[in-house]
Amino acid sequence: MRLLSLVKKEILQLLRDKVLIFILLWAFTGMIYTAGSGISLEVKNFPTIIYDMSHSPESRELVSKFQKPYFKILAYVNTEKEITEWLDSGKASMAVVIPPDFKRNIDGQGAKIQVIIDGTMSMSATMAVSYVATITYKYAIKLLERKMRVTQKFFNDIPILDERTRVEFNPNTLTSWFMSLLELFNVTTMVSLLLTSAALVREKEYGTIEQLLVTPVRTWEIFFAKIFPTCLSVGAFSLISIFLMIKGVFKVPIRGSLFLFYPVMIFYVFTMSSLGIAIATVARNLAQSMMLMLVILTPMLMLSGAWTPPESMQPLMRYLSLASPMRYFIDFGYSVLFKGNGIVYVWKDIVGIIFMGILLFSFSIWWFGKKIAK
Amino acid sequence: MFSRLGAILKKEFRELIRDPLYLSLTLFVPVVILILMGYGLILDVKNIPVAFVDFDRSALSRDYRHSFTNSEYFKFYSLVGSYKEAYELIQSGKCRVVVVIPPDFSRKLYSGKPAEVQFIVDGSFPSRAEIIKGYVSAINNQFNQNLLHDFSLMKGVSIKFPIDAELRAWYNPALESKNFILPGMLVTTLMFYPVLIASLVVVREKESGSIFNIYCSPVKSWEVVFGKAIPYITVSFVTYLILFAITVGVFKTKFIGSFFVLTLATLLYLACTIGVGIFISTIAKTQITAMLIAFLGTITPSFMYSGFFSPVTSMGITGQIMSKFVTATYFIGVVRGVYLKGLGLSHYLPNILSLIFYALAVYCLAILFFRKRIG
Repeated sequence: MRLLSLVKKEILQLLRDKVLIFILLWAFTGMIYTAGSGISLEVKNFPTIIYDMSHSPESRELVSKFQKPYFKILAYVNTEKEITEWLDSGKASMAVVIPPDFKRNIDGQGAKIQVIIDGTMSMSATMAVSYVATITYKYAIKLLERKMRVTQKFFNDIPILDERTRVEFNPNTLTSWFMSLLELFNVTTMVSLLLTSAALVREKEYGTIEQLLVTPVRTWEIFFAKIFPTCLSVGAFSLISIFLMIKGVFKVPIRGSLFLFYPVMIFYVFTMSSLGIAIATVARNLAQSMMLMLVILTPMLMLSGAWTPPESMQPLMRYLSLASPMRYFIDFGYSVLFKGNGIVYVWKDIVGIIFMGILLFSFSIWWFGKKIAK
Repeated sequence: MFSRLGAILKKEFRELIRDPLYLSLTLFVPVVILILMGYGLILDVKNIPVAFVDFDRSALSRDYRHSFTNSEYFKFYSLVGSYKEAYELIQSGKCRVVVVIPPDFSRKLYSGKPAEVQFIVDGSFPSRAEIIKGYVSAINNQFNQNLLHDFSLMKGVSIKFPIDAELRAWYNPALESKNFILPGMLVTTLMFYPVLIASLVVVREKESGSIFNIYCSPVKSWEVVFGKAIPYITVSFVTYLILFAITVGVFKTKFIGSFFVLTLATLLYLACTIGVGIFISTIAKTQITAMLIAFLGTITPSFMYSGFFSPVTSMGITGQIMSKFVTATYFIGVVRGVYLKGLGLSHYLPNILSLIFYALAVYCLAILFFRKRIG
């Protein structure tokens, strides 16, 4: 009964802030839309210039392979100096240089083309280079086969390894599927942490927490009442987001069971809210709690495993990342929604989320009892 | 008129200094973030766990498997007997790629025919899948060139591989990701952190009611806005100096440009980001709203839309529009340029002009929205 009236108070307080509700709605729809449709992590329209000194049919044929969507040829240049200008200014990120003896060497000892790439963006540079390698390689094989047919009539085939790659779960490596889900996970994480933490710190700043302390409510009841509206609102908004944006707009194939995903997500909201409560019990005002959240949230979001593969992290960072509930949630979320895995595969992640949640919630109660309730 | 601005400045500076815990947090937090991310944000895809299904089990197929496991990019996970087991490894996420070698692999290749090899790549992280595909192709190309060489020796004819692409990476010859991440981290940290510290300065006074003191005093809107902005620009400028020292001193990032140019651009940039924070603060009614806008609007967008991970030119149209609003977009070119390309000031003029324009727009908006009125 006590708990019920506390929860009612918190929900009323949340609902009264219309601007806040609007921001939440935008976060769960608009932000997911822009992330899903706007971001592409693969290399597309890579700005390229060509310096063709050979002017032969073969060089033109090779250049014609550098096409959209991967590359966008901005210009044909005629001097080395122009290459420097294009790359220095950052207008072009790659230059393909075809030497004058290109045609002669194709038939002779093998021609070399030079690819100059802007190394300042090493990730997209690595991808672009691998596309270039594949393009030239495929063209080389084609030339070779053509040559075989003309000169050596006695064999038709050459022994090559024919690579057939299938990308499982996302055959066309669509970034929109990945990004829209990631943004949902990001927004869920941020909102659960911020809303709950701010709600408690505000009471501390105003001094209304003293009023709560003189009532017979227990500490856990105060905290639970703070967490409940967050779970409720994030739960509702994420449903809108899953059905309207992720399934509706981006047509992400949800292979797993939403009945498994949804309860765990709500518990994850509880875990992140408990982290928010823990921060709020330590911080004295909102500005301080904001700094603490910043230092926790940024590494958590960026090192969740979505950007950085856990297997290539340094061992120390990999162990540190085990303390982050989001690491488990990202793993769980993609595994269930995207790969369609059942509980057998993800029980470890669920245990991680529940364990961190209980740990943080008990820490908050203990710390609060020690520092404030006295 | 400047005496009023001076008085506000004095008050704001004093308020900052009076909370030493907060002041040390503002200096300490970005440093911790930079160090954690500098060590943790590794975008090189390495040690990818790979499993093999080898139906051939010949000397050639073993050689082929070794070409994967000997490279630094792949790490041997297991050799499984059936397709189903391999698929299970992908499904559970234990392996990122499975190589299926057909039973007639060596027979076909030795008799001069092409052989099909199947690769199954985990696509749950698409950019990683693309990079893995690139590595797989590179290994296959190398293997094919060796095959061709052996074959031509065997047949007694000379077959030379006709084209080879030679790579040269300018500005970052070894394509080291730290030279790419740390300048980027400087940009993003100086984006979200100033916005956050500035986002509370006006709205805090609105909530506590002390804003009425300003309303009924003769100060002008612009005096309040600049009076609040300058102390925070100062604090974040000190942070910039520390962060810069860490990127160059601790992480040994390549730095060949002019410190003066970087500092000049940074001052402009900080003026913009602090301005964004103050603008958020003037439009928000409560501290929670201001904080939520600041967090949601800066942390992930500064990474996603600024061109940190992938060039803006690769983005879709909505992403390109978003990137125009993110201050970091204009600054990241300058920072990467100064750190790695070391060009003169004239190369950055378009970006610097954009920053000046951005600053003007933001402060005009902030002054416009700071109405000395109740309600």
